[in-house]
Amino acid sequence: MSVFLSYTVIGVALGAIYAITATGLVVTYTTTGVFNFAHGAVGMVAAFSFYQLWQAWHWPLLAALAVVLVVEAPLLAVLVETVLMRRLHGASTERSLMVTLGLLVILMGVATALWNPLVSRTVPPFFGTDSVRIAGVYVSAQQILTVAVVVLMAVALRWFFRTLRVGVAMRAVVDDPELVAMAGAKPYRVAQMGWMLGFFLAALAGCLLAPTVASTGLSIEQLTLLVVNGYAAAVVGRLRNVPLTVAGGIVLGLVTEYCVGYLPTAHLNQNLVAVIPEAVPVVFLFVVLLVIPAARLVAGGRLPVHTPPRVPRAARSWVGAAVLVALAAAVSPLLGGIALATVATGLALGIVGVSLVLLTGYAGQVSLCQLTFLGVGAFTMGKISGGGGWPGLVAGVGVSAALGALIALPTLRLRGLYLALATLAFGEAAYYAFFSNPSFFPGYGGDITVRRLALPGLAAPGDRLELVEIAVVLALCAVAVLAVRRSRFGRRLVALNDSPAAFATLGMSSRVAKVGVFALSAGIAGLGGCLYAGEQGAISANDVLFFSSLTLLLFVAIWGVRTVTGGILGGLTAAALPVAAAHLPHALADLSGLVAGVGIVLLSRFPDGVLGLPAVSSRVRRAWPREPSPELSTAATPHAAQGAVSAAR
Amino acid sequence: MPPADAPAAAPALAVDDVSVRFGGIAALNDVSLSAPGGRVTGLIGPNGAGKTTLFNVITGLQRPDRGRVSIGGRDVTRLGPHRRARLGLARTFQRLELFGTLSAAENVLVGLEAPFIRRAGKDRAPATPVSLLERVGVGGAPDSPVASLPTGSARLVELARALAIDPQVLLLDEPCSGLDETETAALGRLLQSLAAEGRAVLLVEHDMDVVLEICDTVHVLDFGEVIASGTPAEIRSDPAVQAAYLGRIGTDRGCEQLSHLRSILSGDELG
Repeated sequence: MSVFLSYTVIGVALGAIYAITATGLVVTYTTTGVFNFAHGAVGMVAAFSFYQLWQAWHWPLLAALAVVLVVEAPLLAVLVETVLMRRLHGASTERSLMVTLGLLVILMGVATALWNPLVSRTVPPFFGTDSVRIAGVYVSAQQILTVAVVVLMAVALRWFFRTLRVGVAMRAVVDDPELVAMAGAKPYRVAQMGWMLGFFLAALAGCLLAPTVASTGLSIEQLTLLVVNGYAAAVVGRLRNVPLTVAGGIVLGLVTEYCVGYLPTAHLNQNLVAVIPEAVPVVFLFVVLLVIPAARLVAGGRLPVHTPPRVPRAARSWVGAAVLVALAAAVSPLLGGIALATVATGLALGIVGVSLVLLTGYAGQVSLCQLTFLGVGAFTMGKISGGGGWPGLVAGVGVSAALGALIALPTLRLRGLYLALATLAFGEAAYYAFFSNPSFFPGYGGDITVRRLALPGLAAPGDRLELVEIAVVLALCAVAVLAVRRSRFGRRLVALNDSPAAFATLGMSSRVAKVGVFALSAGIAGLGGCLYAGEQGAISANDVLFFSSLTLLLFVAIWGVRTVTGGILGGLTAAALPVAAAHLPHALADLSGLVAGVGIVLLSRFPDGVLGLPAVSSRVRRAWPREPSPELSTAATPHAAQGAVSAAR
Repeated sequence: MPPADAPAAAPALAVDDVSVRFGGIAALNDVSLSAPGGRVTGLIGPNGAGKTTLFNVITGLQRPDRGRVSIGGRDVTRLGPHRRARLGLARTFQRLELFGTLSAAENVLVGLEAPFIRRAGKDRAPATPVSLLERVGVGGAPDSPVASLPTGSARLVELARALAIDPQVLLLDEPCSGLDETETAALGRLLQSLAAEGRAVLLVEHDMDVVLEICDTVHVLDFGEVIASGTPAEIRSDPAVQAAYLGRIGTDRGCEQLSHLRSILSGDELG
């Protein structure tokens, strides 16, 4: 009994922290309409700042807490709101997601630059190791404090939103900033308040988390991801309801601890047992996503302000493909060593980038686990016909595509944001239970050998030929994705993304389109994985980190997620930046963070990224003058007209 | 689908005793009306009367708390929006729902390519994006992105897209706003010719002149209830209607316009 109570106490204390971070997410989401993926990173930065003030500079505890919570967090929020978020009102879900993902990358980059990850840092409990004995169980002062903070937070928030004028205005502003403005409130001030409150709660969770990870020391990735676990609790409250969110957080904490305490570990695969505590929140998130009610189609009025990038015609896409392959062939003899390997890896990642253009750029669905499909494709290939044959390639693509369809199926009822969360949960679960599981990835470093593809009758290609081979596949993928976009299916995807309500009232079901595009995109990512692993010689858990999936998506978005060129350049950037950073001094070591920073400021203003900048796109337009399509205006038969329209796009 | 001109057949569209509540507010209260094939049926009422909510109930975007919707005699109350569209129901939206990434012609093309649609077969020649755009009066620039169109033209593109599935029942939510007088008159003639092909046209419109001129029957909705139904002449002389709606226009035209403006801005209009 007392063992059970002990687990309950630990679970409630952990759940309380989840509740705080999740409530912060909900507050920001309901007042600004933006789901802040950087929420965890804000908590992480707060925890490190708290360490710095309290432990490194020996400030008094309360002074350190006060500076972090009421100075640093709100200031950061105001900065973020002013520079990035103010321009995002009315932006598509995927674009605002991308900007907050970028913020996450920046914050992690800044933290890496300020706090060298190789140094160990620990934060002790606030009041030493004092504890009280309640009902035969020792409860630490820290745990009591945490629970008290949650109760206080819940009461204070209720008072704030129900009673204070600013709180009521905050509830109103997300629905309609113009109306709130007409009523005399300043919408951006109200949104600013939402960001400040959200950041404050993230920081609070970060500071409370800091002592609980004392055994391993503060780690940038771990702290960021721990707060990510709060997402599951926020989804319980459907991102709107604070009491449900708090309850969800507590339940999540309890489930995690009971799993640690009571799973029949003796009867399970030991490799699996080791990762269970880490996987519980993700599994929890996935289950919650499956049971929350379907989103209703709302006709809210949609007319985009930004003209989309032009879709090149078939002939032009083949020319582009030929140019790409010719460039690769010309460049490969000039490169050697690391540079050669980096470009080849970048082109393989470019294949994944192109799959993201199809999925996110055209269909508006966000996948945060695209590298998981890369890993699955490579793993499958490595397991079939000695790890490098054509049957392995086909199987790798097929298995990835099937998996993509499988993930899309349960989330069909949900809107884009939830789908993104589901892919995040899936990617993490696959990482813990599959890629870092020695049962599947045995041996030192846990990798699976994958050989390069050989053309029939020839030996496996050397480094230079391999680069050209990858370029050829990438070029074909790009041509194929553009062909899909010009097809009937492609028009349907774009239409579904632009207005789900109008799509349905034209008699079309979103299921086929969504599952289809997810499978296709995952298949392409799997193909990229086969080539990627062939180039590297192996595939391991390090290739499929959640964080890498995220930066790849971000770089594609920064270049322009609605153009295949953006996908290719995004892949190359994702491969090149870490290599370049290794040759720079430590302060610049996080080049990705820096580039992401500049990139998302750009992205918050220009939805189509670098390639969509007015100067760039008009130059492209001049270089590729658009041909008029006289057939269209004189088209007599449906077939001719359809052909003409596809061609004109 | 029964022939529209068979008098004994079920109406192309029938709404029976539909009620919808949003929290404590009754948006629709036991609303019944029908739209027969071959006729233009008008639906008018002050802002917040429940007109758009009724359209959402008919097209399946809003689930009614009570009541029945049937298309051509078939109960569709439990069907999703896409299943209803396949039975020959199409609509336009008060607040535009265009496919903004696509051109005007492609918007229509998506409708033409939609599978499983039971088409009414009223088109004389096979429809093309351009022929449909021309028919509604925006054939000028089929290639231009819809984002660059003025509101009035964008509404007409929505109409062309709705016509692309060759519907038996066509719902139009304020198609005339954003159009000038000449364009409005042309649209009125178009709606009458669409009805003459045997389609049922249900029209929500703020421009009273248009409604009273082109509709065969008019239903008046106020606070979620049908307060009058009849020919335009009957509606014009109905005292209840004058009290609820027409009278206000005469005396408080400015107020009416302002409240209309606010409701468009706020988007929280129930009607």
